[in-house]
Amino acid sequence: MTESYNRKELLRRGVAGSALLTVPGLLAACGGGSKNAATTAASTTAQTMPKKLTWSNWPLYIDINEKTKTHPSLVAFEKHYGVKVTYLEDINDNDSFFGKIEGPLSQGQSIGRDLIVMTDSSGLPQRMVQLGWLEKLDKSAIPNIKNLQPTQQHPSWDPNRDYSLPWQSGMTGIGYDPKLVGGDIDSLQQLLTDPKLKGKVTMLTEMSDSIGITMLANGDDPLHVTDKTFNAAVSRLQKAVSSGQIRQFTGNDYAPLLANGSIYACLAWSGDMVQLQADHPGLKWVLPKDGGMIWTDNMLIPKGGNVFGASTLMNWYYRPDIAAEVEDYVNYICPVVGADKVLEKQDPAVAKNPLIFPTKAMLANAHEFDGKALNNEKYKKAFQQLIGG
Amino acid sequence: MLRRHKWAIPYALLAPGVAWLLVFFVVPMWYLAKMSLSEGLFPFFSFGWAWGNFHDAVSSYQVQFVRSVEYAGIATAIALVVSYPLAYWIAFRGGKWKNLFLLLVIAPFFVTYLIRTLAWETILSDNGLVVRTLQHIGILSSDGRLLATSAAVIAGITYNFLPFMVLPLYVSLEQIDGRLIEAAGDLYASKPLAFMRVTLPLSLPGVFAGVLLTFIPAAGDFINAQLLGTPRQYMIGNVIQSEFLSVRDYPTAASLSFVLMAAILVLVLIFARLLGTERLTVSHA
Amino acid sequence: MRFVRRHILSAYAVLALAYLFLPIGVVVAFSFNNPKGRFNYTWEGFTWKNWLNPFGYPGLGGALKVSIEIALLSSLFATILGTLVALALVRYRFRGSATTNLLIFVPMTTPEVVMGASLLTLFVNWKIPQGFGTILIAHIMFNVSYVVVTVRARLVGFDRHLEEAAMDLGANEWVTFWRVTLPLIMPGILAAALLSFALSIDDFVITYFNAGSTITFPLFVWGAARVATPPQINVIGTAIFIIAVTGMLANIVFQNLRLRKGALAA
Repeated sequence: MTESYNRKELLRRGVAGSALLTVPGLLAACGGGSKNAATTAASTTAQTMPKKLTWSNWPLYIDINEKTKTHPSLVAFEKHYGVKVTYLEDINDNDSFFGKIEGPLSQGQSIGRDLIVMTDSSGLPQRMVQLGWLEKLDKSAIPNIKNLQPTQQHPSWDPNRDYSLPWQSGMTGIGYDPKLVGGDIDSLQQLLTDPKLKGKVTMLTEMSDSIGITMLANGDDPLHVTDKTFNAAVSRLQKAVSSGQIRQFTGNDYAPLLANGSIYACLAWSGDMVQLQADHPGLKWVLPKDGGMIWTDNMLIPKGGNVFGASTLMNWYYRPDIAAEVEDYVNYICPVVGADKVLEKQDPAVAKNPLIFPTKAMLANAHEFDGKALNNEKYKKAFQQLIGG
Repeated sequence: MLRRHKWAIPYALLAPGVAWLLVFFVVPMWYLAKMSLSEGLFPFFSFGWAWGNFHDAVSSYQVQFVRSVEYAGIATAIALVVSYPLAYWIAFRGGKWKNLFLLLVIAPFFVTYLIRTLAWETILSDNGLVVRTLQHIGILSSDGRLLATSAAVIAGITYNFLPFMVLPLYVSLEQIDGRLIEAAGDLYASKPLAFMRVTLPLSLPGVFAGVLLTFIPAAGDFINAQLLGTPRQYMIGNVIQSEFLSVRDYPTAASLSFVLMAAILVLVLIFARLLGTERLTVSHA
Repeated sequence: MRFVRRHILSAYAVLALAYLFLPIGVVVAFSFNNPKGRFNYTWEGFTWKNWLNPFGYPGLGGALKVSIEIALLSSLFATILGTLVALALVRYRFRGSATTNLLIFVPMTTPEVVMGASLLTLFVNWKIPQGFGTILIAHIMFNVSYVVVTVRARLVGFDRHLEEAAMDLGANEWVTFWRVTLPLIMPGILAAALLSFALSIDDFVITYFNAGSTITFPLFVWGAARVATPPQINVIGTAIFIIAVTGMLANIVFQNLRLRKGALAA
């Protein structure tokens, strides 16, 4: 492995040798230009397809042909462009994945990936934009960007979609078992105060979901978080925690509890409900009447990734027919306009499912969370105190 | 030739293992130590001899520290009580099937932690057979539950570390010469007395090892509290996990880690003193 | 009454083993589950299809292979390194034994998340690419302590007179070690190896940070769990268990046959 050191590099290495864990940000800020030619694709604005691309995604988040054990949409892409795509399913948690890549990225090293997928509700895509760890998309290679759902075109943290494109989205609402609840639920208030639900309610460990929905129930705007609105949400939840109303804060491990009846109602993600409803058709999911949240898993190009190649890959998945193929398997919320039309013939059940292709009304009632608040350490600590960590 | 360099033998034996740990544990701990004395917000940390981090760590999270020691202690005690008879049985009655039983003891680990815990969640679910039976006979109140309680967390920790208690106990018990126990009997000792005066003392090295291998990692555990507990059961491991990964306050996470490590080591030292270390860790020629 | 007394220990052991296997029973049962959705949380009906297609999820088989390889290799190396350290600590008096003891204990006290992340910092700083190799390094590292503590429990109770007797009969130190000491501490070494294997095959946090783009079985399961818990995971866990037990049984039977043959030949 040959590397060319310049003086700055050597100096930095010598001085900061044992303190490299301590100043990742400083290094990123002052060392952006001098990279090692260490690993795979170097960032380039050239418009030729590379021979290989590496894509990290969440597991089971792309179409699978169980007989051939391949991903048909990816195989088709490889054939069409003559590119080999190494598809890694190694992202299972935003924070952990970020913890893994921030070391190399903060030192200007490539992480060996051209495309990664991270959730906006973690605050990390926002953070990465701020830190300059993402490449800008080559929009000239993404004509299909016109197929992006209108509601997704201008997120607050990337207003021109310069750095990201949605892969899938999900909504956060209230999942419940009407038989056990004794009726329907449509508000957070009921979750937090109905005595029948004491100890049978869970909330999510995602700050954007739990605090966001509580803010909406308080009449506040989760897109513009202030100390006052944040603290109001925390104290409302704290009451429910102290009284034992809220049983636990969970990741998606609320799903087995809801399935086996240990909990009656919870904050739940739309994609999970689709799967649970397959075996428990009685379970229901709604957006709270005061509003629910929408989160998006975004395709991002980390520094050092091949911009043209990754952009072309993104463009492929914005073809309605390809998006439809993926959606038919993944069953979260599709960001590509026209995919539902394609599916109407093949798989009408999926095409008509509002948890996969939500109505305009639902989308209007699903809100984004303030990216700045997601990275505010004070808020994060306060939230962690609330949920017990 | 060996005689002349006899002094070097222990060092030669130690060298590979110690070198491995020095490079791949001590050096990373050095980075961690520097971080524990740093301050700032992610990603702009700067080293500053911030000894205050340690004080803050202890004062802010006292409850979780104490709780961790409590849960780990109870889990270790239960594990010891459950494991000792099992290890004894395998050692003395296992015969040629001993290794098979040892394998059976660790076999649950072949199924990943998550799947095992999901199975427990099924078994202990609020509407499951176990909970309903306990409610029926009155151990649980009519709306009582097993999941999301401290009992569940402790049970989860205990279950997870059973092999770590059974195996060292077995290793020590299996070595005991049956004739010693016979001799005690010949000297008119009753079976329980023979156990207390012969077997138990001879198995102490195993007890010590088992307690260490259970208590130490259990004190830093986070996953059982996360999946089986409510916020009121969260341990110091959960705090460190969230400070590190979610809040990304590395100095706090680092200083909390060191405080935890120090606390555990102190407790281990006290325990070793109580049992009498010389007998347990050395046997010079 | 005597019947009870004699068998109370066995009854107890059976109960303890039953407790150990209770969740495993559920896991095995659910490997035959037939959910329509992607989660395997509640019983939906019996099917053989998971067993007929255990590697139906792409990536599952590969992840499993990596995990087993790493577990075998890391337990092998950790057992060797750890046994040597245990021998040194128990049998010899030397300067630095207290520090070495400390060095052995401290890794066990370190929370996994900081241990994993700090090790990653080392690999990043020293430009060591993360993957199979770094996972192996990490696993050997955390396994050594467990091996030392386990083997030590065996060595401490070891009767030195046996070694003395061998040497009195003319064996030198090497031969004594190989023919007397090692076989007698072998149960301790084996137990340590088993523990290391178990620790390695189920490790998640430390592995996660140091895996680069390699995926082990726990990483796959935890990652997939966000969207699915395929029954195939249960199938694989059950299958490994069955294979291991069968292997061990075969070994015992084989040993038995050898003993019998030996006895006949004599």
